[in-house]
Amino acid sequence: MTRPHTITRERGLRLLRTMRTIRQASERIAALYPTNVMETPVHLCIGQEAVAAGICHHLQDRDQLFLGHRTHGPAMAKGLGLRPLFAELYGRTTGCSRGFGGSMHLYDPEHGLPGSSAIVGGSIALAVGAGLAAQLQKQDFLGVAWFGDAATNAGVCYESMNFAALRGLPVLFVCEDNGYSNVMPKSVHSAHDIETLAKVFMPTVAVDGTDALATFAAAGEAIASIRQGGGPRFLHCQTKRWMKHQGHEKCDIVTVDRERDCPIHKLEAFLRGSGLASGAELAQTACEIEAAIDDAIAFASASPFPTPELLEA
Amino acid sequence: MPWSRFDRTYEAPTGGRQITYCDALREGIEQAMSHDPRVFAIGLDADDKFGVFGSMRDLTHKDRVLGTPISENAMTGVALGAALSGLRPIHVHLRVDFMLTAMDQIVNYVAKWQDMFGRQGKVPLVIRAIVGRGWGCGAQHSQTLHGWFAHSPGLKVVTPSTPYDATGLLLASIADDSPVVFLEHRWLYKNTGEVPSELYTLPLGKANVLHRGERLTVVANSLAAMHALTAIEQHGLDVDLIDPRTIKPLDLDNIIASVQRTGRLMVVDYDFPFGGFGAEVVAAVTERSFDALRQPPVRLGFPDRGMPSSGVLERTYYPTPERLAQAMTSMLLGEVVRS
Ligand SMILES: Cc1ncc(C[n+]2csc(CCOP(=O)(O)OP(=O)(O)O)c2C)c(N)n1
Repeated sequence: MTRPHTITRERGLRLLRTMRTIRQASERIAALYPTNVMETPVHLCIGQEAVAAGICHHLQDRDQLFLGHRTHGPAMAKGLGLRPLFAELYGRTTGCSRGFGGSMHLYDPEHGLPGSSAIVGGSIALAVGAGLAAQLQKQDFLGVAWFGDAATNAGVCYESMNFAALRGLPVLFVCEDNGYSNVMPKSVHSAHDIETLAKVFMPTVAVDGTDALATFAAAGEAIASIRQGGGPRFLHCQTKRWMKHQGHEKCDIVTVDRERDCPIHKLEAFLRGSGLASGAELAQTACEIEAAIDDAIAFASASPFPTPELLEA
Repeated sequence: MPWSRFDRTYEAPTGGRQITYCDALREGIEQAMSHDPRVFAIGLDADDKFGVFGSMRDLTHKDRVLGTPISENAMTGVALGAALSGLRPIHVHLRVDFMLTAMDQIVNYVAKWQDMFGRQGKVPLVIRAIVGRGWGCGAQHSQTLHGWFAHSPGLKVVTPSTPYDATGLLLASIADDSPVVFLEHRWLYKNTGEVPSELYTLPLGKANVLHRGERLTVVANSLAAMHALTAIEQHGLDVDLIDPRTIKPLDLDNIIASVQRTGRLMVVDYDFPFGGFGAEVVAAVTERSFDALRQPPVRLGFPDRGMPSSGVLERTYYPTPERLAQAMTSMLLGEVVRS
């Protein structure tokens, strides 16, 4: 798809900032992880940043986003701050789940993050429940189900799509397809084609999930339609996971071209090429984010650990 | 029935070959597959390079190891259907927590299939699941739940604590004609112990005495049994330590005989406390042998809330051998110990 992108300078820079925040925070987590300051299993989103940024930039705080185990990217894009994120990873009371959740269980209701689940599939249904609540209360918010390619093998995925479609619920289904379930490629875990499958239930759009502008455009159309009462929509975002399924190490099964496959590289090239931003400006953004991460880590490190009495409360 | 030839009990071996709990499981599966062509393993990531934490790596009969998608509920039904159609499946879950998505199949189908039809048929199905915890795994990746499966009629629940038990009980479970939930604690995987190299089974429903003592009976299974043993040995406590090995069927006779000697009962149950295995043992002993008890019985286990993630809280949440030793010592001093 070679549709020329049209985007304002401000939007472009904001998308970039979100993606860079996810990338730089994830890289910092990866660098610190071997020092054991974060006692929690981490599923990093490096390489998948465009999906989070492109979609969440259309969402409001009132929209309810339900995540699975791979949380950091979309959670940050939805509004979770670096401080409460890092503090949670550091197991401190100032963490977004007060040290009870860890990486896989992030909570920030003010930004429409009512919780995430580490049992693959189940949280898709919760997003449908949010859509139902919006419909029954005649309120203007969406439920957003965020899941990987392998979650489409779980019965709850079909049951949720069916119910959302039957009732015409305001739900966005986001399949962040990185092609793998841990080390198992999609060809081994799915006999179905995800788009064909989703189309049985609702309008479905496929998008290059390494292209922030394409993802942003596709998500914009889908979300506008849902907000107008058009019922559920499905976005199939194909992307690449650069890291191992879990942990801080680079993935040894996915071949990544760090230029061509890099969502950040793509957007920066576009912004510079179209004269929307200068190289110096982009470097400046990266520095600012680095400082914010330093601040978050200092905050997390200085925060108190939970005390055992909390278990009895 | 090729299995009946091996239906005998080995005494705990002495001076034999030492292997890990993980290798003991692997050997059991290897032997079962070689011995009986109807045995096959199925499960999410069962066939990947990690080989279920090593317990199924490089099996000879690779063609009988099937990977599945993330479809635990349906796959449980598939395993049950295969068991009803001539095979002896081993359905494996990398975490017991993932098994919960299959509770409909496990409780309504697998557990009930024999009772529902007047116990006429066989359901030779083993569901293996690994209990994990630590490193901030949190509330959905750290559960044990053995008491919960035992609650449901129709399921045997096996929780080996030693390599010897792991092989013998796994083979007995595969040989059994009724469904067995076989729970392995990940923290036991590296433990070593003596395991005979020939094929053997251990009876389901027979406890093992891990330590002999006169003043307190401690009942503990799986990892809790190993922690209790460490506590007793390190502090030289006069404790009878009974590992039931199978939560269900439960070897109450052995437990009661011990309590009648010692007059005191503690159950170390690394699971949620309410309505659990610990509660069951305490209730059963109280019902059958109230007069033997000189002190209120005690249960030690997890708090009645979901697992926290922060390392600091995790270390408080889970009992340790040291804490077990303290509780046992208090009980031996006649102090009241809070469950
Ligand atoms: C019900 C259930 N089964 C198995 C697992 C173990 N598990 C965690 S993540 C994962 C792979 C998920 O792949 P996908 O849904 O494509 O998401 P991705 O990790 O690629 O983002 C598996 C099998 C689980 N968490 N829950």
